[in-house]
Order: sequence, then C-alpha cells, then structure tokens
Amino acid sequence: MTTALSIAQLEKSYGTQRVLNGVSFDVPQGSIVGLLGPNGAGKSTLIRSIMGIVEPDAGHIHLEGQPWSREAVRGIGYLPEERGLYKDMRVGEQAVYFARLKGMAKADAVHALRLWFEKLEVEGWWDKKVSDISKGMAQKIQFICTVVHNPGLLILDEPLSGFDPINARSIIDAVRSLASEGTSILLSTHDMPSVERLCDEVVMLDRGKVVLSGGANALREEGWSGQQDVVFKGNHIAFTNALGALGHLDSISEEAAGGQHRAHVRLREGVPPSQLLQALSGAVEVSEFVKIRPTMESLFIQAVDRTAVESSEV
Amino acid sequence: MMRSGLIGAVIAREWRTRVFKRSFLIGTLLMPFLAVGLLAGTILLTQATDTTNVVLVEDAPGLISRIDQASGQLVPLCPGCFPERDKLSYRFTREAPADSIWLEEGYTVLVEYDGSVLQNRAGYLVYDKSPGSAAKRNIERDLSKAMEHARVLESTELDWQAYQRLKFELKLIDREANDDGARLDGGGEEIRGSIGFLFSALLFLVLAVYGGMILRSVVEEKSNRVVEVLISAVRPEELLLGKVIGMGAVALTQLVAWSVLSTLAFSAFQFAFDSGALGSTIPGQGEVPTDLLTAMAENDLTAILLDINWGLMVISTIGYFIGGYLLYGSIYAAVGGSVQSEQEGQAMVVPVIMPLMFAYIVGSGAIANPEMGALTWLSWFPLTSPVIMLVRVAVGVAWWEVALSWALLMVSARLVLALAGRAYRHGVLHTGKSSGWSLLFQWIRGHGS
Repeated sequence: MTTALSIAQLEKSYGTQRVLNGVSFDVPQGSIVGLLGPNGAGKSTLIRSIMGIVEPDAGHIHLEGQPWSREAVRGIGYLPEERGLYKDMRVGEQAVYFARLKGMAKADAVHALRLWFEKLEVEGWWDKKVSDISKGMAQKIQFICTVVHNPGLLILDEPLSGFDPINARSIIDAVRSLASEGTSILLSTHDMPSVERLCDEVVMLDRGKVVLSGGANALREEGWSGQQDVVFKGNHIAFTNALGALGHLDSISEEAAGGQHRAHVRLREGVPPSQLLQALSGAVEVSEFVKIRPTMESLFIQAVDRTAVESSEV
Repeated sequence: MMRSGLIGAVIAREWRTRVFKRSFLIGTLLMPFLAVGLLAGTILLTQATDTTNVVLVEDAPGLISRIDQASGQLVPLCPGCFPERDKLSYRFTREAPADSIWLEEGYTVLVEYDGSVLQNRAGYLVYDKSPGSAAKRNIERDLSKAMEHARVLESTELDWQAYQRLKFELKLIDREANDDGARLDGGGEEIRGSIGFLFSALLFLVLAVYGGMILRSVVEEKSNRVVEVLISAVRPEELLLGKVIGMGAVALTQLVAWSVLSTLAFSAFQFAFDSGALGSTIPGQGEVPTDLLTAMAENDLTAILLDINWGLMVISTIGYFIGGYLLYGSIYAAVGGSVQSEQEGQAMVVPVIMPLMFAYIVGSGAIANPEMGALTWLSWFPLTSPVIMLVRVAVGVAWWEVALSWALLMVSARLVLALAGRAYRHGVLHTGKSSGWSLLFQWIRGHGS
C-alpha cells in the first residue's frame, strides 16, 4: 500500500530546545491518522515542517512516494490551528482567491465552491462580508477553502475547535466522506471522541518523540486491561462464585428493574473473555457481555505519564 | 524560482480590495477636481479682484504734470512715463478734494506727495479698497519714472532724451557651459528647483503613505491568522513581492487616474474659460484675458505650472516611484512581519524613513540652491535618490546620471527585496512578544524560528 505521507527520522531544534526528535510515521492512502499529543509536544512544528513553513534540521518527508517538494506541498489541503480570513473581503471572493492560490482556474474554483457551500449549507453567505458572519460560519468557510481543490492529502489542525455540536457533526461527516473518496487525512486534535470516531490510526507525540502509534482499534485492544461489563439476571452470590478465580469483581449494582444486575469485572491476565462467559452462563442468565476497552484519552494519558517517568529516570 | 501565476493572484487581490474601496474611489475621483478647482479659484479670484484702477495723482508741487492749454486739464509732463495699461489710468490735480468726494467721482486710488518727494522719495497711496499688489507695483513704477524725468529736468543740463540714451542697464543672460563647448540656455534654476521639489514632496508622501499601508496589511494578515494559510500555498518571498507590487499598482493606479482626470478637468476648465463662459459670471471685472494660459502666465502662483516639463517630470516620478517603492515597500513589509501591532511597526520604521525625510529636507533646501554639491551624491544614493533626483531632473541633469542613479536604485531594491523576503519568511509566523531590529537582522542572516 502506498503512503500519502511518510515521515522518517525528522529532527528540529530551536536553539538548545529539541522540538522534534527522530519522528517517523506514515499516513497510508485513504486513511485518517490522528496526531495526538499534549501542548508543546511538537505537533505544530511537525505539521509546519510538512508544509515547508519550518525547515527541519534532519530527516526525510515523502509525499505520495516522492521526496518532499514545494509543488507537492501546494496540493495539500491545510487547515492550520491558527486560521483566519480577510475581514474586508466577501466570502465567495475570498474562497475563490484561496482556491486560485492552490492552482485552480477561476471557473473551476467557483463551480467547486458552489457545491461545497451547498453541502455545508452556507450557500446564502457567498456575497456577505466576512466581518458580517459568525465565527462558526467563518470556520466552515475556512474548511471549504481547505478542501475545495480536492487534495490527495488533508492536514487538519484542530478542525473542530470553535464549532457547536451540530456544525461539528457536519464537519465530521464531510471528513468521513472525503476519506471514503480516497483522501488521506492527518488530523491533529485534542478532541479524543472525534479521534475515536474518525481515525483509522493514531500517532501520539510527546516531547518531540512518537510515544505510541498504530491502528486505533489495535491500540485500544492492546491497551485492554481485562475489564468487562456484564448484565445478568439471577443471584449475585452465584455470579461471584462463578467468577471465582477467573477475575476480580470491581462493582455490582443492586437489583434493578426486571431483576437485572450490572457487574464490572477485571479478568486475570491470560484469561480470555469467552472462558468467563462460559463459566457465568451456567450460574446466571447473562443478557449483556461487553468488553471495556480503554478510551483514546486514557491511552493518551498513560503514554504521556510513561514518557514523563522515563525521562525523569534518564 | 518565483511562480508568476501565484504572485499575480496576490497582486490582483491587493489591488482589487483597495481600488474598489469607497474611500479610494472618492479620494481618487475628488483629488483632481479639487486641484483644478484650486487652480480655477486662484485664476478666477485674481481676475475678479483685478479691478480697473483710476488713480488721482495730487501733484501739488507740479513736478510731473502741466496744464494743457487746449483742454485746460493737467496732463503728464512725460506722457511716455505713463504707458497705456488695460486696467490703470491716471488723472492729475494740484489739490485733491475730500476723500468722500474723489471716491464718489469714481477714483479708486489717490497718490499724495509734497515738494520733498524728490529728496525723501516717499509719498502716500490712499484707497478705500486695496488696488492689489500688481497695480501698486505699476503705479510705483510709472510715478518713479515720471519723478526721474522731473529730476533730470531740474538738476542736470541734459534733456530727457539725452538722459534716456545715457542711462545704462546691464542684462545678464544665463548660459550653461558644457565640456563639449556647446552652451545651453540657463537660468530659472530656482523656479525649476521648486517644481522638482513639488514632485519630490509628492513622491515622499506617496512612499510614506503606501509604505504604511504595506505595513498595516502585513500586520493585519498576522493578526487575523490568514498568513499561515497563505504561506502553505505561496512562498513568503512570493507573497511579499505580490504585496509590494499589488500595493504599488494601487498607488500607480491612483497617480495615473489623477493625471488623466486632472488633464480632463483642466481641459474642461480651459474650454469654459477660453469660450468666455466663465467671464460673465465674475462680478466687477474689467477686461479679462480670454486665454487661460495667458491668464495663468500673468499670475505669479500659476505661472510656475506653465514652466513644468510635465512629460519628463511624470516619467521620472513614475520611474523613481517604482524603484523607491520596491526599496522602501520591502523594508516596510519586513518590519510589518516582525511586529505584532501597527503601532509597534510605526515606531520601528522611524529609522527607515529617516533617509527619506533627510532627502526631503535637503530637497526643500535645494529650491534656493538647486546645484549644491551634496545633491549629486544624494541623487545617486538609493535611499535618497527617489526624492533628490527629481529636483535635479527638474533643474537639468545629464541623462547618464539619471540612468546610473536609477540602476543603482533598482539593484538596491532587488537586494533589499531578497533580504526582506528572508526576514519576512521568519517574521510572518513569529508570534512571540519579542521584536525589534536585532531580531530582524537575525532573521535576515537566516537564523531564527
């Protein structure tokens, strides 16, 4: 599988401060990769290096399998975290200007923009001045300006900041739709739920290093610590006896409507969930058996904590 | 390599957003009409106030007048001393009546003197409304000649004709020496220097105003966070060049529009004036020249406009504007990229515009002495040449000097543009609190974020 973006051993320092320290990862074609990390982890410097705004000290960047070039960068759709629009220009005129900077002919730009304006329900704002529209509306216009030239690679830095839930959903839908059409996306965000909903893979940066990377589902699977939710009908003493040495009972609810209980258990290492289910099924009536995988947020915090400990030990 | 299509898009945006602004359109459309209106006002007001003067000369000692036997009226002893003038005539009396009476009789001015006038050379000019400085000069000139005539008759044995023959006035005609032996008409340097300075002042103003606009525009792009999106598509150097050229195109548009509209407005005024359409509207005027150019030549304020070699000055102004603008505009843009607010930028550009201000001050001094030595060097030095060379062009300068000065200016502008591009590249994405020239020079050297 070809990669839309490949980063290898990227280094960047500002004075004595090393901001990127041997960062390597790939963004496969058509996938959404989440770039996570606490403030100051080096995400913005990494993105700016990809965009040619910052010159890395060492390492390589490949775009569509080709060594980095200014012309290739121009094809990228880039939504920076700190973004804005010219207040004294009209919305449509401004969107056409950005599209032209991305190499589109004026007629093509107007046609593509009209479609996007309709898709994101902002078609009535074409002739409005930017100073007359709301912040959320301006965010949508910025998103449209980023994607209008149909880029093969999209880099979105905090694309949902400033959106209300309704508008955030329309942006998420648009991002999903672009990915399904083959656009590769690097999504930098602090919004963990959106990472879980959108990303195929994640790359976690901390202090300029990649501290965790891989498929989003695989990482959550790997991070699973044996936690399991069980909803059952029956005697909870029978439940505890069936659990026996297979795991530890963290909590169990009092009998609720319909005589059901909800228990939260943690399996012992090496015990597969199927073994527990088999043991419980003979003692109580199990109606729900859900594997509790860690959230991206908890994985993120764990990874950052782990790095902090490692650096303090060094 | 610069991508002209992208630079063109940036230029087009800068140009469109400014030229189609209401304030720009109003300023561009109004200015030529105000300028021509000012000229028209000056001419018409002069014509309106240039009334016919009938002067009553109270020649009590009988120095310059005699009784004409035929008419019984007092007539000048020296008729040739009082040439016929359109709006000035004289009557003589030995004793003037009360002011109210001679005023009522239609005289506008009374001249009084006594027998001591030949010694103390002073008399009085009495009037209800001032006859104007031009009329006063003519009255003084005519009466002085008549008194001179009287003194010749009184104190020498020569007759007036003999005195006139002996009288000698030397007129020196300016000629400029050249190395090749050819001599050119000279003189009028002060007037030409003033004309050059007018264009220098205009250029200084345009450079300062539009330089400030570049600075504001760069700061605005930083503060509204547009710049990072732009930089992802356009190289900072391309953006900088597009901005400087775009804003320069706005200034050129304004200059060209002013030139065309001023010419049209002037032509319209000239047509109206020459056809006499305006003449009848001026109250109290006597004989008015029917030709606007003649009327302008007769007025000290407007005569200077006729001395301007408009073609040469406009071409020189545009040429030096382009070079000066690229040079100073690049510096303004680099400064704009290194600061967080317009106020901070304005403070930082003070040392930048010092050479320009120095040139402006020297240029104003050059009106009195347009050929002073320092002007030559300053007209070659790129930071001052845009302002100074215009004064020299107006006075007269060898073509190779202009070519050399302009070439030096353009080479410097290109160099500064490249250096400013480096600083701009670092600066536009710099959002820290620190700023200043040391940081700017650090970026120029290629160090920094």
